[in-house]
Amino acid sequence: MTFIMRFFVISVLLFTVSAGIMAAELTFDRYHTPAAINAALQDFARANPVTTKLHTLARSAGGRDVLMLEIGPEVKNVKKVNPAVLAVANMEGTVPLSSEAALYLIKLILEKPDVHKVLTWYVLPCGNPDAAIGYFQKPLMMDPRNTTPFNDDRDDQTDEDDEDDLDGNGIITTMRVKDPEGRWMPIPGEARLMKRADWAKGEKGLYKLYTEGLDNDADGEYNEDGPGGVNIGITFPHLFKFFTETGGRWSGSEEESFNLIKFSSDHREIGMAFVFGASNFCLNPPRGGRRGEADLTKLKIPERFASFMGADPNQTYSMEEVIEMVRPIVPPGMEVDESMVAGFLGLGAVVNPLTDDLKFYKELSDKYKEFLKDNKIDIERLDPAPDKDGSFELWAYYHLGLPSFAMDFWTLPKVKEEKKEGEEITPEKLEKMTNEEFIALGEEKIEAFLKSSGAPANFKAEMVIDALKSGKMDTKKMAEMMKKMPQPKSEEGADPRDKALLAFSDKELGGKGFLEWTPYQHPTLGEVEIGGEVPFVHNTPPAEKIEGLLKGQVPWVFEISQKMARIKVGKTEVKPMGSSVYQVKVWVENTGYLPYPTAMAKRNKRIQPVVVTLEGDGFKIVDGKKRSLIQSVAGNQAASVTWIVFAEKPTKLTVKVHTEMAWSDAASIALGGSR
Amino acid sequence: MKKAILLSLFVLIFVVVLHIMPGETTLPLRFDHYYTLDQVHEALKLLNETYPDLTTLDIAGKSEEGRFIYVMTLNNPKTGRALDKPGIWVDGNIHGNEIQGGEICLYTMDYLLGNYGKNKEITELVDKKCFYFCPVVNPDGRYHFFADPNNPSSNRGLRIPVDDDRDGLYDEDFPDDLDGDGNITRMRKRDLFGQYKTHPDDPRLLVRVKPGEKGEWTILGAEGIDNDGDGRVNEDAEGYVDSNRNWGFDWAPEYVQGGAGQYPFSGVGLKALGEWVMQRTNICMVWSFHNTGGMNLRGPSRKGLGEYPQQDIAVYDYLGAQSERIIPGYRYLVSWKDLYTTYGDSCEFLTQMMGAYGYVGEVFLVETETFRTQKERQPGSRPEGEDDIRAMMMGRSTELERLRFSDNLTQGDLYKPWTAYKHPTYGDVEIGGWVKMSSRISAPFMLIDLVHRNAMAVLFTAKQTPEVSLDVTEVKEVGKGLYRVRTRLSNSKAIPTMSYLAQKVKLYPQDMLKVSGIKAKVVAGGVLTNAYRDMVTYKKHRPELQFLVVPGFGKVEHQFLVEGKGEMIVSYESRHAGRLTQTIQLK
Repeated sequence: MTFIMRFFVISVLLFTVSAGIMAAELTFDRYHTPAAINAALQDFARANPVTTKLHTLARSAGGRDVLMLEIGPEVKNVKKVNPAVLAVANMEGTVPLSSEAALYLIKLILEKPDVHKVLTWYVLPCGNPDAAIGYFQKPLMMDPRNTTPFNDDRDDQTDEDDEDDLDGNGIITTMRVKDPEGRWMPIPGEARLMKRADWAKGEKGLYKLYTEGLDNDADGEYNEDGPGGVNIGITFPHLFKFFTETGGRWSGSEEESFNLIKFSSDHREIGMAFVFGASNFCLNPPRGGRRGEADLTKLKIPERFASFMGADPNQTYSMEEVIEMVRPIVPPGMEVDESMVAGFLGLGAVVNPLTDDLKFYKELSDKYKEFLKDNKIDIERLDPAPDKDGSFELWAYYHLGLPSFAMDFWTLPKVKEEKKEGEEITPEKLEKMTNEEFIALGEEKIEAFLKSSGAPANFKAEMVIDALKSGKMDTKKMAEMMKKMPQPKSEEGADPRDKALLAFSDKELGGKGFLEWTPYQHPTLGEVEIGGEVPFVHNTPPAEKIEGLLKGQVPWVFEISQKMARIKVGKTEVKPMGSSVYQVKVWVENTGYLPYPTAMAKRNKRIQPVVVTLEGDGFKIVDGKKRSLIQSVAGNQAASVTWIVFAEKPTKLTVKVHTEMAWSDAASIALGGSR
Repeated sequence: MKKAILLSLFVLIFVVVLHIMPGETTLPLRFDHYYTLDQVHEALKLLNETYPDLTTLDIAGKSEEGRFIYVMTLNNPKTGRALDKPGIWVDGNIHGNEIQGGEICLYTMDYLLGNYGKNKEITELVDKKCFYFCPVVNPDGRYHFFADPNNPSSNRGLRIPVDDDRDGLYDEDFPDDLDGDGNITRMRKRDLFGQYKTHPDDPRLLVRVKPGEKGEWTILGAEGIDNDGDGRVNEDAEGYVDSNRNWGFDWAPEYVQGGAGQYPFSGVGLKALGEWVMQRTNICMVWSFHNTGGMNLRGPSRKGLGEYPQQDIAVYDYLGAQSERIIPGYRYLVSWKDLYTTYGDSCEFLTQMMGAYGYVGEVFLVETETFRTQKERQPGSRPEGEDDIRAMMMGRSTELERLRFSDNLTQGDLYKPWTAYKHPTYGDVEIGGWVKMSSRISAPFMLIDLVHRNAMAVLFTAKQTPEVSLDVTEVKEVGKGLYRVRTRLSNSKAIPTMSYLAQKVKLYPQDMLKVSGIKAKVVAGGVLTNAYRDMVTYKKHRPELQFLVVPGFGKVEHQFLVEGKGEMIVSYESRHAGRLTQTIQLK
């Protein structure tokens, strides 16, 4: 290409991009590449200069900008007065729909001035752009790693053996190779699907499975050292795992994750986090049951503490019991809570959601299910992916102490277990049934029964009913026939996910989601077959479904964000106590549903207490603190602060309540004088 | 008038010169005083300028307050590239108040460079190894420790504001040098209900009252006032993010590990330094110097990390025992077990992320500040006025003995006598006690012994970094045009070419042995497990490339079957043991 031609092409491309996605025109009928997402964000920022600010959070290892759009009432403030909601998406780069959801969220926020009047939104639509590009490239393959080079197989070369599109269809699928040492076999009822042979059931493995590709470096391994890198989605500091294949050297070793960690930590106005990806805390509360360094129901008291606590070092105690033991021995005024006990007993990090927090997660999860029903998003689907160690959603809860809501927006529809009813009828049962009883089951059930018992396809319920009615056949004879028939081929052993995928592919994608096994002459493996699951089919619905899915689910973000803790000055009370002395009592209310702060934040002490101050002239605090701290206020509850003040002349004071992430408030209080 | 101006100008110049003179740095460096941060930097530059062929001075990063973090590389380029030699990393002063590590680094550099070409052992060591010295990991800390009023334990961390009392204000109530002497000492107040009384043998000291005894004093804590008027004194001092709890490996949040900071590597200087170090892939030995207690600690820093592999422990034990001999009184210990658990510390980071063998040197034994007769030095004897609690805290020397030491060996420099002060909150108090440059820092006259012995412990371990030789032990024709080539890689030192911990977690590729020739092809190759019986563990694919580790004081042998003729090159490459090549002829 000549220079001029190249210039021409580039300008046309640039023009198309900038003209194509004006904020208002952004459509959700296709998936957007990381570059298109960034272009859209720039358009949003240009079109809304007063309410938005674009932050370049990081540059990925592959040289892609990680952009975050700020929308809110104070984009010019570095230090915010109002709280903020942080929403990040596609941290693993493998869930294209999650990025669309983030873009959709931005669109909704901008369309609803109310939601960003006293609340800042930080939206990061694509946290792992190097990986996210995978969906748009050929050959198509799913890989959560950024492009930081990594020598996966610890040999003399780096990133030298990646997948190869051998059949040239632009998709990396699976190779199956007949091998005496193979551990895989086709599922008897569905030969396209494979399962691990179970020797205990007398099954024999036939195949070895490989991802599609060559042994590029001739070391006997296939595709063991592809390009990259680090899966940004598992690089956050809570439960970060060292020395894994895709986790990176340490938490935050990559710029994409470090700068997001830094941003989220430094911006103390962030009071809530959403993570769009593969897991879902709105449907299922964050899971517990992890083994931590200590079991909080069975605490041992070391000998050196036991003596002065009056505890038995050979016994175990619950957290509540330990708190009761410690309370009398601390200096007066010192608060004894879980956090303090955990600290001096060295209980280590919290690894399971705290009970008080699970209460709101459960309540909101029930509400979410109703919300989905109302929005007709009620197809039974496969469970969202479980949360991963080192994920942003876990870190946001456990370290930042925020209510953290992971959301996914689509998984494969569950395959309806059609056979259940039919299966209930065994030859033994049939024998005991009369013809009339059998006919009474109805055509539908009989049809299902025939299918499940492996009757030939042309053998219809209608025919059977006729035969029974005419006396040509009776239930006893049928039972005998059934016993002689070969056992039906069962899909038993097939992974429910595989079955769902295959069904979805057959029904909705015209078979394009699961490729037929096709013979291929492999240079080192010989006769192989290439086929199987197409990447992204399991988590990325066809583009025409995007808008409907987002419309029905993304607005839940607003429902939850309305439930953020909000601290206000409630009732105030002044009691004159004699000459110029007054008792001032102020109730500090949390008018939000969610607690200030979460139980987790009380434990890790990251979130500042509510600071209550009395300001003004002409008075002196006799008893009480100039800056009073309220450690926590549960949702819809209040806590009070009392001062005794001295004011010679009538005066007005201002009571201020300040938080970093739950708004602030002030009220005026008159002391003395006629009213 | 003119004369007056001239005179005052002269006086001014004279004063300036006088002011500079005592601080002027010359080689060899002097160790009868402690170096301020500027003096450390001056000394580094002087060493670098004096020995330009052997040293490179890099700025590895910048601190929170913009001070440079220097690292000096000591390598002789005439004997090879830095990365092709075993690397020894030595750092100090990661805690602002633990200054001696800076002096140990300066001394070790000066010793190596000054003796290069004069002492055979040192010349050989400098030619074979590569040293990295970071005398001050926490330059803000060192700067403020010298410049500001402090006590021996204050000013450790990074200059990241932290709201210790969680009142929404940051670093607003720090200790105050009320008597203006440059030290933060203690305040006491006469109080009949106090828990302390005057020590019977020295009125400067306090002892706890026994039950039923009348008290004389209440200790009010560190020198200071209630700056923020919240009813508490000195509760929100500068920081505190601990520069040795903020590293990327095994970091845990603040509520699990005090001083952790908000996230790993939130310290900008530490992050830059960590990334700088990661580029020096040859580092296989690490020393991080702290004070105090006289300990050389190995990891793991936390029980939950699991014990190191037994083969690594054998290496640590060998080196650790020698360090105990080189520095009398110091103990070689395991960090979590014998001291306490830490998360996110630098030595564990370097051990785990670099695959190095690392020691934390807790230098200075307070009991070396003795004041005893020969008889009192006998084991089991109790020096004058021993107090059990103090003795437990301070090793075998008592506060009274240290006071006598201060009086007689430093003419009172280490202890500030109590003086009356009118405190805004407490009224009449007295201020006094151990000064900043005491307790964890030896009197300057003892510094040379401390830096020399610790430097020698470093050098012993440096000498034990791997030294591998490659021998072709056999080239034999075993068939027409088919040759058997046997090689031996042997390590004459204690440290293996890759730590067993690094092998366990597959930290990086193992050492590589390659056999190649233009007219010859390796048809088979593998580890020769028994040379007499010709037993070989063959590698199935790419036999010309073998991965291996040469153990400490050990060897690995390989056997190759080669088809062809002519010249072949046998090459060995190791992160920690450099590169070697041998040429052989097939004939």
